[in-house]
Amino acid sequence: MEVKSFQQDGIMVFQVNGEINISTSPDLKKQFEKQPSKKVLVNLENVGYIDSSGLATLVEMLKKTRAQGGSLGLSGMSNKVRSLFEITKLDKLFSIYASQQDAVSSLK
Amino acid sequence: MKKNFSVTSDLSLVSRTSADVLAFLGPLKLPEALLFDLRLCLEEALINAMKHGNGLQKELPVDVSVEADEEAVTIQIDDRGKGFEVGKVADCTQGGNLLRGGGRGVHLIRQLMDEVKFNAKGNSIRMTKGLKKTRAKR
Repeated sequence: MEVKSFQQDGIMVFQVNGEINISTSPDLKKQFEKQPSKKVLVNLENVGYIDSSGLATLVEMLKKTRAQGGSLGLSGMSNKVRSLFEITKLDKLFSIYASQQDAVSSLK
Repeated sequence: MKKNFSVTSDLSLVSRTSADVLAFLGPLKLPEALLFDLRLCLEEALINAMKHGNGLQKELPVDVSVEADEEAVTIQIDDRGKGFEVGKVADCTQGGNLLRGGGRGVHLIRQLMDEVKFNAKGNSIRMTKGLKKTRAKR
């Protein structure tokens, strides 16, 4: 897994490429903690697999962002990844956008 | 067809073990979406067995038994731990549990597999995915 992070219109974007699983999710958490921001977007467009550790990491990132009065969105999920959010009802917790552009327009 | 696998309680071996199991299922030519579900459920159960069952003691093995035919794939995973009370696992989709760090693995397995059984001790899980519906859609 690789994580590219950059600012877009005042939003800290984490572009994740690869799988978010029990081995890789600590890296995503580290990258997130290095760059605290009140507006965060995690682009999952290039994520083909996520397990419960990955879901837990995203929940933790959401909690930390909210604790600072901020907001965190997710974008570009595949149908399969999205189905896991629906099964676990996490789709009710997160703001989920079809694309990075939609997310940036909404979060900025 | 049937095959047994044994793996030490090392989380870095989870992906390799699931890849071995999926390779074994290769001749069934299962659709990608089904392989995704099987992989996820297998890996969640393996992680639970290694972490919560065997307490990540590397000398303790986790046994994986896979049976498959045209009708179904059944995977059984056994650890050497003390087991747990299945009924006491909190529902991760309810209220404040949504924000909790863990507890989603068993829920995902129950939702994605067609039949899930634990032994009385709670250190063995047997999960089955039927293939008839999947094949009918092809």
